[in-house]
Amino acid sequence: MGLTAARALARRAFRDARVRTISFAYLFVVIAYIQPVGYRDAYPTLSSRLLFARSFAENKAIRLFYGVPHDLLTVAGYTAWRVGGTLAIFAAVFGLLAAVRALRTEEDTGRMELVLAGSVGRGTAYLAAMAAIAAGALIMGLAEFAGLLLAGLPAGGSADLALATASVVPVFVGVGALTSQLASTRRMALELGGAAVGLFLALRVIADTSAGAGWLRWATPLGWAEEVRPFAGAHPIVLLLPVAATVLLLMLAARIAAGRDIGTGVLPARECAKPHLSLLSSPLAQALRSERASLIVWLSSIGAFAYITGVIAKNTSTAGISKSLQREVAKLGAGSIVTPTGYLAFVFIFFILAVSLFVCAQIGAARHEEADERLETLLSLPLSRRGWLGGRLVLALAGATAISLTAGLLTWAGAESGGVSIALAGMLEAGLNCLPVALMFLGIAALAYAILPRASAGLSYGLVTVAFLWDLFGSLLSVPHWLVQATPFAHVGLVPAQPFRAGAAVIMLAIAVASALAAVWIFQRRDLTGP
Amino acid sequence: MKPAIRTEGLSKRYGSTLALDGLDLTVGEGEVYGYLGPNGSGKTTTIRLLLGLHRPSDGRAELFGVDAWGDPVRAHRRVAYVAGEPFLWPSLTSAETFEFLARLHRGTDVAYRDVLVERFQLDTRKKIRALSKGNRQKVQLIAALATRAELLLLDEPTSGLDPLMEVAFRDCIEEAKGRGQTVFLSSHILSEVEALCDRVGILRDGKLVDEGTLAELRHLAVQTVEVTFQGQAPQLPPLEGVHVQSAGPNALRFEVSGSIGPLIAALAEHPVATLTSREPSLEEIFLHHYDGTDGHAGS
Repeated sequence: MGLTAARALARRAFRDARVRTISFAYLFVVIAYIQPVGYRDAYPTLSSRLLFARSFAENKAIRLFYGVPHDLLTVAGYTAWRVGGTLAIFAAVFGLLAAVRALRTEEDTGRMELVLAGSVGRGTAYLAAMAAIAAGALIMGLAEFAGLLLAGLPAGGSADLALATASVVPVFVGVGALTSQLASTRRMALELGGAAVGLFLALRVIADTSAGAGWLRWATPLGWAEEVRPFAGAHPIVLLLPVAATVLLLMLAARIAAGRDIGTGVLPARECAKPHLSLLSSPLAQALRSERASLIVWLSSIGAFAYITGVIAKNTSTAGISKSLQREVAKLGAGSIVTPTGYLAFVFIFFILAVSLFVCAQIGAARHEEADERLETLLSLPLSRRGWLGGRLVLALAGATAISLTAGLLTWAGAESGGVSIALAGMLEAGLNCLPVALMFLGIAALAYAILPRASAGLSYGLVTVAFLWDLFGSLLSVPHWLVQATPFAHVGLVPAQPFRAGAAVIMLAIAVASALAAVWIFQRRDLTGP
Repeated sequence: MKPAIRTEGLSKRYGSTLALDGLDLTVGEGEVYGYLGPNGSGKTTTIRLLLGLHRPSDGRAELFGVDAWGDPVRAHRRVAYVAGEPFLWPSLTSAETFEFLARLHRGTDVAYRDVLVERFQLDTRKKIRALSKGNRQKVQLIAALATRAELLLLDEPTSGLDPLMEVAFRDCIEEAKGRGQTVFLSSHILSEVEALCDRVGILRDGKLVDEGTLAELRHLAVQTVEVTFQGQAPQLPPLEGVHVQSAGPNALRFEVSGSIGPLIAALAEHPVATLTSREPSLEEIFLHHYDGTDGHAGS
């Protein structure tokens, strides 16, 4: 009886998470495969690898993103560093999302109450949720393992690396399970968990980039994954740490879960509040009010990232740049990446990606308003659809502009404090240079939303991701030049190292305006669509 | 004077499902119109079309002579809507929700709103997410009633309300009626419709199968006649439009559509002790339309 129920629950939870599981598994396979292949292609000889490894010693910028390398002379060692460092972060995010979704969201929506009203105990429900996530984590590990094997790496080391990455998932499942007990809403649980991921990442970054701080690596689950050292005299014994941490966190969460009322959290939820009547004068103002928190998170995280990028701009070289990024580097002209200006211009391609993802999130929020049928409440008032969607687009435009300028300003501020003198105007221009691509994606996302509301989030995020990855990896494949160029990222002038490409920008903005107008036109002519 | 609601051949098709089939409806100003139908019969679809939220596949809908799809903003100026499910903003408190909705719908009577808050016993400091469904429904109702809009479109507005609040709701509708507001009340709570509405429309599978005042509907529907006899109940010959049921050893129950004249004539030859005739309740009228698939009273 209990077992049947547990299996039904676990299967349900696994099915609910299938889109996330598939997307992450895809990411794991691709990254695990593409990195070793790219390295082999870029540094075919020992001498080129020696040069790469030696120049790397100087490069803190790259360590910041990928962690500390143990061996850069072999394909396997390079892979362990690049794949392990990146995927550990994704694994942490996956674990957190999965746990909060399976525990807090279920309670938030009242579904858990329904389950527990049946003949299912709390312990059974908890274990079933964990079993479903464990199956997801196993798929992540297998996906990475498969990618590494496909790229021709030895099975033993690949297994170590896949294990090291996959071991991060349960720890952050534990973190998510704990924050799901503390917080009383899904949003709060994700915010607390997100803060934990940020903290552990910051610890790893400090450990990997500051002299004498290497011991800090032992204080963060992301550091443990590095200390397993796959392909470089692996220490699988280190895996006991994540196991112990997971058991501890899950037991603590289970203990709290067993003793509290369903639907509540340990931290008090504010159920009452004095009315704040600001930002309620129009749907646009109210949208700003509800998006305020997420806007602040975007601005501060992009700002922090931009500042750090600026600070380390001094210590740059081409060394850590993989083949996949070489084409971007090549745009700058030979050797210019080693100049701070060149380096900063290069990094802005990531800011363009970030701003593009931000606008997709804004259209996602608009769709959310419709899917939750609050839009029906709004549009039964004397409000026009054009005004509502137009307001949402204006909000996305303003947010994207603010983020872009923040990126430019804080990169400049970071560079100044890092001892690099660079023109403020140039960096602000680099920031604004994010906008043509991002606004084009905004227009396209709006169009997708108008035509296919239910599929629009997947379409717009997918399009941005594919366009970006195509820009990085397209040149590795033997396809015609015009096809490699078929992404907006390929047509961006890397300001300030390169001149702003006005022609391309005008075309992108024209596409943005045309798609946005078409989106509004179509949106006025379709039925509102529920969840 | 333009009617508050007018539809002509209004139809809506979702894929292969015909949700609403050629609806012709007129609701005059000041009327309280009950819109009846079971789940899935097309009530909510009708309201979405009246509000221009969904586009008619065929026909048109007008509110005060303004096309609902073509010019929804103008049409909505004189309308307030309560949805069957309270879809509001979870992070706002009730007070903030009222303020927000009032700013979007000019003409909200703030003093009346305070009266309503009192009457429905709502704690306006609470966030929407902390409210039960019934309380969230109250928020919607209060916001809509406080606009004093000329037309109230109510889609199962009392779902989730307790009986005390149901009474408060009825009082509010009576008041609205007294002020000359038009009310379109979609419901499947028959006692509510019976108590409040001047006219009733019955919807079935997307078609309006019956419409009229309660008196008219009663006239058309079956009447129940119960007869007790002195001694054993007799065997009566089959009569056109009369359905016989045993109601005890010496009693019979007749369900009669149309005139009861032939039945009286047939009974005259038998020793009748008592005879009671009863008008059908709205529930019986309603069930009459749904009992058989052919639209006639079954079994």
